Amino acid sequence: MGNLISAANFAKVAQYADLFKQGMAVTIMLSLLTVLFGFFLALLLAVMRLSHLCPFGFLGLTKDGHLREQGFLFHLSRFNPVSFIATVYVEVFRATPMLVQLWLVYFLLFDKSVIDLPKVTILGFIRLERFIPGVVALALNSGAYLSEIIRAGIQSIDGGQTEAARSLGLTQGQNMRYVVLPQAIKNTLPAIANEFVTIIKESAITYTIGVQDIMSAVNATKGALYIIIEPLLVATLMYFCLTFPTSKIIAYFERRMSRGDKR
Amino acid sequence: MATRDSLIQVTDLKKYYNRGAIKALDGITADINRGDVMVVIGPSGSGKSTFLRSLNLLEKPTGGSIVFDGVDITKPKAKNAEGKVVRVNVDEHRQKMGMVFQHFNLFPHMTILDNMTLAPIKVRHMPKAQAEEKAMVLLDRVGLKDRAGAYPIQLSGGQKQRVAIVRALEMEPEVMLFDEPTSALDPEMVGEVLDVMKELAHEGMTMVVVTHEMGFAREVGNRVLFMADGRLLEQGTPDEIFNHPQNERLQDFLSKVLV
Ligand SMILES: Nc1ncnc2c1ncn2[C@@H]1O[C@H](COP(=O)(O)OP(=O)(O)OP(=O)(O)O)[C@@H](O)[C@H]1O
Ligand SMILES: [Mg+2]
Repeated sequence: MGNLISAANFAKVAQYADLFKQGMAVTIMLSLLTVLFGFFLALLLAVMRLSHLCPFGFLGLTKDGHLREQGFLFHLSRFNPVSFIATVYVEVFRATPMLVQLWLVYFLLFDKSVIDLPKVTILGFIRLERFIPGVVALALNSGAYLSEIIRAGIQSIDGGQTEAARSLGLTQGQNMRYVVLPQAIKNTLPAIANEFVTIIKESAITYTIGVQDIMSAVNATKGALYIIIEPLLVATLMYFCLTFPTSKIIAYFERRMSRGDKR
Repeated sequence: MATRDSLIQVTDLKKYYNRGAIKALDGITADINRGDVMVVIGPSGSGKSTFLRSLNLLEKPTGGSIVFDGVDITKPKAKNAEGKVVRVNVDEHRQKMGMVFQHFNLFPHMTILDNMTLAPIKVRHMPKAQAEEKAMVLLDRVGLKDRAGAYPIQLSGGQKQRVAIVRALEMEPEVMLFDEPTSALDPEMVGEVLDVMKELAHEGMTMVVVTHEMGFAREVGNRVLFMADGRLLEQGTPDEIFNHPQNERLQDFLSKVLV
């Protein structure tokens, strides 16, 4: 038996350096796009969950115009279908494995041509018909998690802000857009950036649907060279080099931001 | 009965919490006339804030009615002054009622100028330049023209509250509601805020003021309401309320606050 880890094997892996470099680029782009789309999905979900749309609200009034306090009609008048849908979405995506979601999205929506993606390769190594399903699945999942962060951010904004805005005549939507969300998002930016770090790591599973990320480079080298430990160590180092400095930079800005608040 | 210059008629207003276990407002009936400076006093938890917040529907009343400018704003649809049935737009009515809070509630992510122009621009669709010009005139009135570019965090409490008042004034409300506007201020800043309010009163602004400043109530108010346990126990002129109180609870309350 040879050594468990050998320099010669690393030299062999080095022949596939381009594959790893491309994998790194794919991982970064995949994560950035995921957080971008996930963020907008999360905004939508958070606002849906905190909305006050009650289509049966009129059932909560008695004939003489008093508010009901209990009973079936009281509960029906409080029912908010928009919030309900968002809640179900978030709970389902948080309660099931990401791998299952990824495969479901890929095989259900894209593989059987429900949504036909062009077989286009951009930059010479990004195969869109694999990359896009990867982004979609990751963003659907990330949106569920981020929406909880944003929801907490919105709820942490003092109710007096909304009262002031509404008393000035702003609608609920305008209040969200101009008063609450700008403050809530600023407060949650570090958490959103941390989600980016999480996605860099979690995106490794997308190689299972053929996305050519860092893990896919590991897989390809393993197939060609019949070695696994050295390519894995290279991948480990690459992921670490992506996530560690990023977290440190986020922590730095987080400290600076909280200092600014105490001015 | 509604008189000719009556602005708001509140009838049997009720606000219950926890299925009626807490009666924050238990049937309040009051008339607010144009030009009134109505001061609301009463012990803590008596429902003063709830009353004020119900007036512009920040709290949805459990029962009763609030007729503002001839329209019952507590109902989704109501008859207007001419007897036509109209859909009640709460946001529209809120524009006509300015509100000033104990904790100022300025928007911390915006400059003073942006705080003032947000509603005129977004709600009234006023051109930005015009809104800013108007804001500067108002800021000048309260001596804060040179702080237009500052952020709320850079102002003192008294300055913040003065901004909050002119921010509400920028929407040209028909009535201003004040909920303990000086209670969160250091004592040396109370005067500067009360002065702005006095000036407003002298200009004829209709005001409803919840306050513990009995001096202000006597000097500036033309009517005083005394609330306890969600009920209106006594109302009258400052002279009637402070010099000839009838209700026992009021006498007791005054003996504690007028040292
Ligand atoms: N959201 C709420 N849920 C339950 N009870 C409430 C709520 N808001 C107010 N109350 C209760 O309603 C009553 C009236 O409260 P309110 O704030 O109007 O009193 P207040 O006269 O303004 O008192 P203070 O002088 O302390 O400001 C209190 O007993 C209070 O506990
Ligand atoms: Mg109060």
